[in-house]
Amino acid sequence: MKREWTFGRRLAAAFGLAVVILAVMAGSGYRATTSLIENNGWVDHTFQVRTQLANLLSELLDAEGGQRGYTITGDESYLAPYQAALGAVQTSVGNVRSLMADNPVQQQRLTGLAPVIDAKLAKLKDIIDARRSQGFDAAAKLVADGQGKTLMDQIRSTIHDADQEEATLLQQRTQVAEDSARLAIAFTLWGGLLGALAIILIGWFMTRALTRQIGGAVGHVRSSSAELQSAANQQASGMKEQTISMNEIATTISELLSTSRQIAESSQRVAQIAEQTASAARTGDGTVDKAHESITGIKRQVDQIVGHMLELGKKSQQIGSVLDIVSELAEQTNILSINATIEAAGAGETGKRFAIVADEIRKLADRVAGSAKEVRGLIDDVRSSVNTTVMATETGSKAVDAGSRQFSEVAAAFKAIASLVSTTTEAAREIELSTKQQTTAVEQVNVAISNVTQAARETEASTTQTLETASLLAVTSSDLLRLVQARAEAA
Amino acid sequence: MMDERTSYADRVAEMRQAFDRSFAEPPRSELRETESFLAVRLGNDPYAIRLTETAGLFADRKVIRLPSPIPELRGIAGLRGAVLPVYDLSALLGYPSASAARWLVVARGASVAFAFEAFDGQLRIDLTAVVSHDGGTSREHVREAARTADLIRPIVNLPSVLAAIGQRMPAAGQQREQKR
Repeated sequence: MKREWTFGRRLAAAFGLAVVILAVMAGSGYRATTSLIENNGWVDHTFQVRTQLANLLSELLDAEGGQRGYTITGDESYLAPYQAALGAVQTSVGNVRSLMADNPVQQQRLTGLAPVIDAKLAKLKDIIDARRSQGFDAAAKLVADGQGKTLMDQIRSTIHDADQEEATLLQQRTQVAEDSARLAIAFTLWGGLLGALAIILIGWFMTRALTRQIGGAVGHVRSSSAELQSAANQQASGMKEQTISMNEIATTISELLSTSRQIAESSQRVAQIAEQTASAARTGDGTVDKAHESITGIKRQVDQIVGHMLELGKKSQQIGSVLDIVSELAEQTNILSINATIEAAGAGETGKRFAIVADEIRKLADRVAGSAKEVRGLIDDVRSSVNTTVMATETGSKAVDAGSRQFSEVAAAFKAIASLVSTTTEAAREIELSTKQQTTAVEQVNVAISNVTQAARETEASTTQTLETASLLAVTSSDLLRLVQARAEAA
Repeated sequence: MMDERTSYADRVAEMRQAFDRSFAEPPRSELRETESFLAVRLGNDPYAIRLTETAGLFADRKVIRLPSPIPELRGIAGLRGAVLPVYDLSALLGYPSASAARWLVVARGASVAFAFEAFDGQLRIDLTAVVSHDGGTSREHVREAARTADLIRPIVNLPSVLAAIGQRMPAAGQQREQKR
């Protein structure tokens, strides 16, 4: 916890502890001094009470002395102390009463004393009045009755008791005041010693802790400054290389700028060619549609041809069937003619002419058979040709189908190509625009690179300065560490 | 195409003229002595049969097979209201028995028919073209040959064949009697 405290907090805690110790000491001293002053006040009070009591008794004695002088001499001038004491007695009684307000016993005693004082003063007045009006004897008589003495003795006794009471109180209060004074002295002396010791201890602990911590920190600062120096060295060399690289980059960017301009011109030409291609593709699309219609017509015609050829094949087959009948009839005719010839040969001379007819019929039948055979060959040729033609036509039909499909695919592909060409045109335009923007951007980059090169040069200068500062910091941290460690060793 | 059509039309016209001419011309006398033959094939070899030795030619007639000790007898057939025995002419000439013999020829003066494989047509041959064939073949019943334009056809002597059959018949009857 303490290790996490900051220096300010630690110092504040240390000074706070010192302030608390001082405050405790001050409070204790204040309290002891206050108590001492209060006790001294009570001692003064007791002295005042005793002084007032002495004054009261003195004034009563002055009044009695004045009465006695006047009684003896009859001289009015002796009444001056009596006259002065009349007012002073009342004042003294009031003072004593107010001073004894805190003591009920003394109050009660004073309450009992007041009528006696009044009676004494009245007695004195009666004696003076008797002397003045009746002469010395009357006055001596009043004096001799002893009442005045009794009252005076009673007053003296009461004041003596009160004074004794106050003397006792004075003794007690003096003792208390001495105790307070000793306590104040003790607080002042031992508190000061303890406070000084505590502050010395706090200072020692603070110095030790701060020396250790600051020493560590300064060590870190020294190693960090060494690292910083090394890093600044590397940074300086790096900044030199960076400056060189930035120069090369600036050269490359310039070449890139010229290349980018060439690309922009080329892309413009590409966009023009792409537009021409798109126009050609649109024309080609129409041509492809017409060709597709033609291929569909060819397919229809080929289908009709296949139908006709199949019909022709069927007809050829029917002709073959008819030819079979003809051949059979020719064969039967031949057989009949031969049999007729045989019969005619058996008929002798009569049958010779019939034999000639029969022979002619036979020849005719032979020719019919030959012709039928020839027709059979021709029909076979026709059927073979028809079959070949049908197969070829079917192959052609399939080829036309395949061609139609392929042409559809070609048409679709051509449409896709046309679409792609238009897309390509748009892309070429975008490329042209982008390349122009790129050229502008490269120009901006060129400017920025120039700025960066300038900044790199400035940074190089700053790095050199940083290197010097780091070296200075390293020296300063070494000095500081030496100072801190020297202090620590001294402590 | 036009040439072929013209050629066929010419041939048809020629045939028609020849047919009409045969009826228009007076009966001509034979300047040269000729003889008619049936051109046949036996065991794929060309042969000739004298027309004067035949009584009729038939095709595709039904031959009903019969059990017989004579292996050359194919069976019997109904021809012109008569039931005739049918012999395999190829087998009689020493060839292997023909499997399919659709032609039948009836011998003159005997109620016997001979079956053979193929009929090539009727031939009219000069007598001068008929030559002796004694030393030309080892086949039986062949003594002469008819020379045509392209080949020489040995002439099957049907009477000789009939005589041979006639000779074998008593022997067959005796064998039958002995079996009984």
